[in-house]
Amino acid sequence: MADSTFPVPGALEAAPHGRRWSQAAFLAWLHDWVVTVDHKKLGILYMLYSIFFLLVGGVEAILIRIQLVRPDMHFLSPWVFNRVFTMHGTTMVFLVGMTYIFGFANYLVPLMVGARDMAFPRLNALSFWLTFFGGILLYYSFIGGYGLYGASSAPDTMWWAYSPLTERAFSPGHAPDYWALSLIVTGFGTIGASINVIATALCLRCKGMTLMRLPLFVWLNVVTSFLALLAITPLTAAQVMLLIDRYLGGHFFDTQAGGSALIWAHFFWIFGHPEVYVLVLPAFAIANEVIPVFSRKAIFGYPAMAAASVGIAFVSLGVWAHHMFTIGMTSVGNTFFVLSTMLVGIPTGIKIFNWVATMWGGKIRFATPMLFCTAFLFQFLIAGLTGIILSVAPWNWQLHNSYFVIAHFHYVLVGAIVFCIFAGIYYWYPKVTGRMLSEKLGKWHFWLFVIGFHVSFDTMHVLGILGMPRSIFTYEADRGWAPWNFVVSIGGFIQAIAVLVFAFNLVHSYFKGRVAGNDPWDAWTLEWATPSPPPAYNFAEDPVVTSRRPLWDIKHPEDPDWRYE
Amino acid sequence: MDSHEQHGHSGNTIHLPAPTAWPIVLAFGATLIFAGLVTHVVVSILGAVLVVTACAGWFRQVLPHEAHEDVPVEAHEITIESERTHVTRIEIKEEHRAHLPLETYPVLSGLKGGIAGGIAMLVPALLYGIIGFHSIWYPVNLLGGAGVAHWTNPTTAQIAAFHPQALVIAIIIHATASILVGLLYGAMLPMLPRHPIILGGIIAPLLWTGLLHASLGIINPAFDERIQWGWFLTSQITYGLVAGWVVAHQSRIRTTQSLPFVMRMGIEASGLHSEEGEDHRQ
Repeated sequence: MADSTFPVPGALEAAPHGRRWSQAAFLAWLHDWVVTVDHKKLGILYMLYSIFFLLVGGVEAILIRIQLVRPDMHFLSPWVFNRVFTMHGTTMVFLVGMTYIFGFANYLVPLMVGARDMAFPRLNALSFWLTFFGGILLYYSFIGGYGLYGASSAPDTMWWAYSPLTERAFSPGHAPDYWALSLIVTGFGTIGASINVIATALCLRCKGMTLMRLPLFVWLNVVTSFLALLAITPLTAAQVMLLIDRYLGGHFFDTQAGGSALIWAHFFWIFGHPEVYVLVLPAFAIANEVIPVFSRKAIFGYPAMAAASVGIAFVSLGVWAHHMFTIGMTSVGNTFFVLSTMLVGIPTGIKIFNWVATMWGGKIRFATPMLFCTAFLFQFLIAGLTGIILSVAPWNWQLHNSYFVIAHFHYVLVGAIVFCIFAGIYYWYPKVTGRMLSEKLGKWHFWLFVIGFHVSFDTMHVLGILGMPRSIFTYEADRGWAPWNFVVSIGGFIQAIAVLVFAFNLVHSYFKGRVAGNDPWDAWTLEWATPSPPPAYNFAEDPVVTSRRPLWDIKHPEDPDWRYE
Repeated sequence: MDSHEQHGHSGNTIHLPAPTAWPIVLAFGATLIFAGLVTHVVVSILGAVLVVTACAGWFRQVLPHEAHEDVPVEAHEITIESERTHVTRIEIKEEHRAHLPLETYPVLSGLKGGIAGGIAMLVPALLYGIIGFHSIWYPVNLLGGAGVAHWTNPTTAQIAAFHPQALVIAIIIHATASILVGLLYGAMLPMLPRHPIILGGIIAPLLWTGLLHASLGIINPAFDERIQWGWFLTSQITYGLVAGWVVAHQSRIRTTQSLPFVMRMGIEASGLHSEEGEDHRQ
């Protein structure tokens, strides 16, 4: 089996067998990556895929912000704006969010539980390639979406694809079909990957690795995978029903023929809200590893953290209709979803308190991963508070479909999830490549990104309160929104510069970065007991653990953790 | 499923699943089947052929015996040690008790404070109705008007008149809010430093009045047009002072904060008992 370094030309020089950079060597190297079933390589492929689409989705976001920077702009036509808007949302949720999860999980779960690979290595490869081709199919719609009528191109019905807009009467051509079909394909990939994570974490744990000694990273990925299994199914069902409507004369969502658009909304949000937690729980998982290591303390309240994760997943299955307060539900329905949504605040609050308690009294090192996690804590708290505001039905009636909602979920998706993704990449990059990312560039990346983030999304709350609806392609000058939109767009550009710094750092440090060694952060979980990058088999001998921090026990034999667990 | 045994040692090599192209072929074929629905039927047919081929190839690779490759074990020098050998325990100092009170008020005190504050704030509220609109029902209807179903843009005279439905709704809202805030006072006052009455009686009502002032226009524009913020603030401060005074004058009870966590949880744990004899866990 070939080495598990990054799939870039430099890997050839680093290859153990001294291959030369030639067409034959390149093809052999490419073949290695295409046919691999190694969880580390598949994890890297997932991450590269995620980062690539993060850049694509970022470009789409910049196009949106250029269009909205001034009133009455015509940089994009309304039709192109709708496509870009839809593809930005779909890309970020399905091709970035869903793939970073399995990137980290693939690479790290087997290493953390002391296994040599995922439980089903071939299914693992199939899951990745389904996700890969699903994404390709989605973007192929830009050139193949004209379909029979020459109408439409890429999907343009927003990432939630509300009915009856997606019915044939209103969306001729194939745009909604590409959206549905590509996400059905990536959905199959998600189901396969979720089954693999659960089976690996539950069945391949090394000796001594009881459930109460599992790293919280693994715990949260198991919870995420269960949630993904439950959430993806109704979406796939709804998409199949939509296709039946469009091609086989069905009437599920056809309001002209006795169907109900409301059913689509229910199906979509039964998927859509747990999906938020599917995305954010792995971000929590990263924070659970980074914060203790850089605070030089064990995580505070391990059982409560694990239980809170299960609690979040459970409650998240019963909150979907808070996206539908303005649709017109009964008072009982409104009240139920207000209360259930507020209930999520309890396990989430437990987590925030425990992270803060972990940092309290610790000797904190503000290296780049910790900077991102610290910002995540503040931003996720604010995101939670605006979430509570939006959970109150009367507030929601006023603010629904306004930029306040956009600001709220970008606080979750960017302020929490993307910040934790960056933290995770800075933290585990040395393990994956054997080289450290530049701290100097990392700090530039962090400060530019955190400033750009707040300039954009803090201001966006104001736009929402001033009544600017989401999804509009332009606005009149007399609405009073122009200066605020200008500021939001400036923040977007600052974030784009930060991401470019990050991309440069990734490439530059791969060739020029400081050699990492096996344990550069003085960490405690099993992956740091392997070389960087780890060999194909991970561990020459099956490890045995006696506590939640096996490397701490080895480093501090006079004061091992098992005495206190 | 691949178990540890299947990934086992054989001399200086380790068995790992062999690389295979069938997953990518299967994934490509499945995608083509779907893509054919929006392009051409030939694409779907090609996809189906690839799926069948990939399945056959995949089955042949795992049946009757799973294909594997032997990866030679390389010698790696792994050092697991920390430069920070000194372990420091966090000491909990006594001043941290300021945030976890050793004594608190019983739940009943919050209930009493809430009821007393709720009754006290009726005085400025009714005064406001009598002085401003010659009717005690005006503030009642402002609060409970949502319960009068047929009201859409009522006149001042209508709001100043008696409406039994509005009265019932107003009593429910007022009693519930008063009792809940009173309970909050009972829980929070022991944690407020130094002048709890000033913080709970004046500062807190000022803060929530400010919050409402900023947001009432969005929540209830009709109410926002009619509310008199001076009177509103007076009634809130009256509530805060009376509820805070009643709570603060109740007798305190000891909390379990001074006991170890494990004793509060009622469980047996290390630290309470001798750790001798635990070496067998190594």
